[in-house]
Amino acid sequence: MNYAVLIELLSASIRIATPLLLVALGGVISELGGTFAVGVEGMMLMGAFGGAVTALVTQNLVLGLLASCICGVLLGAVIGVATVKFRADHMVTGLAANILALGLTSFLLRGLFGGKAPVMVLPTIGAIHIPWLSELPVVGPILFGEPLMTYLAFLLVIPVHWFLRHTQAGLTLRAVGENPEAAFSVGANPHLIRMISVMVCGVFAGLGGATLSLQELGTFTDGMTNGRGFLALAAIIVGRWMPFRLMWGCLLIGAASALALNIQGWGLPVSSYVIQMTPYLIALAVLCGIGRKARMPAAIGKAFIRN
Amino acid sequence: MSASLGEEEQQGRTAPLNPPADSVTGPDSPHASDVLRRLGLAILAITLSFVVSAIFIGLSGKNPALAYWSLVRGAFGSIDSIAFALNKSTPYVLAGVGVALCFRARVINIGGEGQIAVGGIAASWVALSGSGLPGFLLIPLAILAGSFAGAAWAAIPAAMRLTRGVHEVLGTLLMNFVGVLLVSEALHGPMGEVGAGFPQSPLFPEQAWLPALIPGTDLHIGIILAVIAVIVCHFGFWHTPWGFRLRLIGSTETAAAYAGVSTARGFAGVMLLAGALAGVAGAVEVLGVHYRLIQGFSQGFGFNAVAIALLASLNPAAVLPAGLFFGFLEAGALAMQREIGVPSSLIYVIQGLTMIFVLCALGISWRRQRV
Amino acid sequence: MLEMRGIRKRYGAIQANDGIDLKVDAGRIVGLLGENGSGKSTLMKVLFGVVKADSGTIRFRERALVNHTPREAIAAGISMIHQHFMLVGAMTVLENVLLGRKHGAPPRRSEVADRIRKTSADFGLDLQPDALIADLSFGHRQRVEIVKALLEGADLLVLDEPTSNLSPPEIKSLLGILRKLAEQGRAIIFITHKLGEVFDVCDEVVVLRDGKITGKSAIAGATRKDLAHMMVGRDISVGLSRTDRRPGKEVLVARKLTWRDSAGRERLKEIDLTLHEGEILGVAGVDGNGQSDLVDVLAGLKLPSAGTIELDGKNITRATVGNRLRTGLAYIPVDRAATSLVAGMSIEENLGLRDFDQPPFRRRIWLDHRKFRERAKARIAEFSILARHPDMPVGMLSGGNQQKVVIAREIGREPRALIAFQATWGLDPGATRFVIDQVIAMRNRGGAVLYIASELDEVLMVGDRVGVMSNGRLIGVVPRQEVDLAQIGLMMAGGFDNPDATPTIKS
Repeated sequence: MNYAVLIELLSASIRIATPLLLVALGGVISELGGTFAVGVEGMMLMGAFGGAVTALVTQNLVLGLLASCICGVLLGAVIGVATVKFRADHMVTGLAANILALGLTSFLLRGLFGGKAPVMVLPTIGAIHIPWLSELPVVGPILFGEPLMTYLAFLLVIPVHWFLRHTQAGLTLRAVGENPEAAFSVGANPHLIRMISVMVCGVFAGLGGATLSLQELGTFTDGMTNGRGFLALAAIIVGRWMPFRLMWGCLLIGAASALALNIQGWGLPVSSYVIQMTPYLIALAVLCGIGRKARMPAAIGKAFIRN
Repeated sequence: MSASLGEEEQQGRTAPLNPPADSVTGPDSPHASDVLRRLGLAILAITLSFVVSAIFIGLSGKNPALAYWSLVRGAFGSIDSIAFALNKSTPYVLAGVGVALCFRARVINIGGEGQIAVGGIAASWVALSGSGLPGFLLIPLAILAGSFAGAAWAAIPAAMRLTRGVHEVLGTLLMNFVGVLLVSEALHGPMGEVGAGFPQSPLFPEQAWLPALIPGTDLHIGIILAVIAVIVCHFGFWHTPWGFRLRLIGSTETAAAYAGVSTARGFAGVMLLAGALAGVAGAVEVLGVHYRLIQGFSQGFGFNAVAIALLASLNPAAVLPAGLFFGFLEAGALAMQREIGVPSSLIYVIQGLTMIFVLCALGISWRRQRV
Repeated sequence: MLEMRGIRKRYGAIQANDGIDLKVDAGRIVGLLGENGSGKSTLMKVLFGVVKADSGTIRFRERALVNHTPREAIAAGISMIHQHFMLVGAMTVLENVLLGRKHGAPPRRSEVADRIRKTSADFGLDLQPDALIADLSFGHRQRVEIVKALLEGADLLVLDEPTSNLSPPEIKSLLGILRKLAEQGRAIIFITHKLGEVFDVCDEVVVLRDGKITGKSAIAGATRKDLAHMMVGRDISVGLSRTDRRPGKEVLVARKLTWRDSAGRERLKEIDLTLHEGEILGVAGVDGNGQSDLVDVLAGLKLPSAGTIELDGKNITRATVGNRLRTGLAYIPVDRAATSLVAGMSIEENLGLRDFDQPPFRRRIWLDHRKFRERAKARIAEFSILARHPDMPVGMLSGGNQQKVVIAREIGREPRALIAFQATWGLDPGATRFVIDQVIAMRNRGGAVLYIASELDEVLMVGDRVGVMSNGRLIGVVPRQEVDLAQIGLMMAGGFDNPDATPTIKS
């Protein structure tokens, strides 16, 4: 194996992991607050759609990113109201939100453009080469020649971690997910906190979707997220609900996918479809490996009821 | 009350405790008043989702009233459309009744798509390999093969849950993707049709085709299987000790333990059953609609099954009308797209909204009827 | 420091607090002694602002507290340390202390950590700010609650049954800590039902019974006997149709039954008990002394770490719940809502919870609903269950009628042995009387009954023999004619250090 292939693999891993990472960061905020983030697949799709369509119409990437956040938040608000106010079951509501997003994005893609999906000529987020650093051998292009959202995603891990571990708000959020009664007994409002956490999740997941449509693939197609949201959920579990660890989880899945993409060119006697299965199989294997040791927030999925 | 109560909260869990089935369905009784309440709930949810969807139709510049009218006409307008709708409903009902039973037992099985996919593969393999057999043997064998494949596909995440504590939601979900890719794999390998422009298998021998229920139409006998499945599951659930046990498992952990019922066995059983039913659905699709194995044939079916199960308030008998509703909805949507230009993906909007409304209503009703 | 006057609080038909006066001075530890239902928790809820009194006044540090909220109580300097801690297990001591901080600017973490260390050193709490709550023993977790209270500036600490989950050495440490706190000028209210502790740490004691104060005393000069009598003194009511029976042969025999919980603590310590035909063994005791563990082990929901259980000579120590049912065991648990009844199922189905998969309720693969219906109708008549029809959901019945369904099911099977755990919990007097009558009727017919309740009255009314669960042991089992209330009171109050010693106090 020569350097070029290795660099290509690493680069592809990072590229594929980026949207997963953004979604996972959002998902972990929602789950640490006690709401299952099964709906991130839908939020991601909404973000991908909103970002793509806005960028298409305005030809402005910033507006596109903004729109993706808003679209993600909207779906997050729906999930939040259903689960917090109406105490609907978290997992199935997330599933319903995913179906809704799928239908809505496909529908609007055609409906807003006179009945046929438009040709997607989108401005895309290009690579930003940091002067001098990006010319270093091997690490240069990988670490310092990535597009904007990639820098953003990986850099965001730090403030998210810091927020969760070192701020009062993060502490309260985690308390709501572990023991809402205890949080309530010291004056926190678990319902409000869960609602906000789900909407923040929507922002992150929406951005993850925008990364997919505006940076990685440069287009929007029906259902383009294709399960990435669920892979992000797996990454959260693998990372034991901790930001830095789930980052590695996303990279692992990204590497599996990158390997799958590249292996096809190597002429190995393994079918390309089997190779495409690997990210999912690896996710399943890791989940099994972790087994019961993965300890999720104690009150996740349980509605908080004021007596 | 007891000192040991606080302890459980201190220990972690991997698989979360799904809320009692009551919380998804409200109190259980075949009483007329309860049936009416659930019917009312379903109708309300559907109506609300149609209203909200009308907004989206308006956003896209079309007239919602015209669109809905076209929908209705398209669904019921002709024999062909009715046949199409019934055919569409068949796999939904088959998979949906299995999912409904799972949810009743507090098992969230969303692996329908994968189970349908492998069911289709197995049935296709039998159909293609058994060209020497007569139809009345070949078809049942193919369907049986489909059911075994589906059950096996569900057994894997079930085992993962029982042995490693991996929650069945993620387990069944991820297996969906693997199952669908398995179809592509099969079609690019042993079962693919050489020279076809699209990943598909060769056409099945004619004796493997599901016969038509009404000669001259597309309607195949699969709908009979669906009705049989609903009847069997209904009676099984409400009138056998097995169903009684499922209902106990679906209430609370302690009630099931107190009655001496094994949660693990109930869980495994209902997962296998749901998988088998989904496998049959897959078999019916390839044998009755496509007459071949074709890439993407299982798309969306799994989630439809969940939506239908919810709309039916998890009642096996009600899965039939709920499934029919979605089948007709789909038939109508295609017509609506042709005539008015409203994209047929609207039905997924309706489906998603309906699910959310039903879930919200069930969340509240549980609150009001707490013991 | 604290003066509560004339506190009255009524819950429906029950007068939980009936004109209570309580005075606590700074630097004093006041014990609040009483059984379940004596009114002590209501009184404290009133003090803390969780519940509003119907009448009465509260003055704390010269200021009146009227219609206050818990937040206001905390701000005034009253802190309550609950029996079940409000702590987040997955977080550290520091994080749990930080959780509540609302006043002013958020303090620096290092500052709070230092204060925790200092407080810990001052009072010998042995707490590290970075320790994970889940890793701490119950005793240490309680100290975290104390630290929280101290850092909030509490001048009055109320501890509700603080020693119920502590081991003896931990209890000793706690009492030492409390004494130090009192020496520094704080006031402490110590709610308990254990006499020994009262004598160990309190300066004065107030005894509650049935919502009234039955006695106040300084510790110096008080005797255990007096206090026990104040706690439980009552008349045993008569008027039950009890046929004179000589107990028959042994039905259920448990030997040296031991059970350890997941934290390794022994909750049941070598329990020996025997149930005879035609006899009720009544077991009194305050909640939390191992009763629920005992019934769970006997019923098969928990497996004992040591010891044996035999039913009619058959060893059922490790038998499944189903097998025990078939061998003739019946069990009425305390929790109707989640255990003995399924709310969403109908009355006839709930009646069939034990035998739905056996003939005649099961005919080959089908459930015979007619048989369910027949039996339901019979039971409804027999036990006077108020219900419109047998297939209404049991969740719609009143509490009393729900319990009738449970009893109809368990007793209706004519079991060999019945375990009744808090069978009258949450029921009004009429329903309570019904339950007791049914249990005695079963005993008259020759059944064997283990009747566990926290209401001493009931146990004394019902039991042919009476014993007490104290700290995981079953002690003082005597025939009803030999019952000495003072002894029982002492046993319930944990007044015996040596659990094997036979009671020697004579009146």
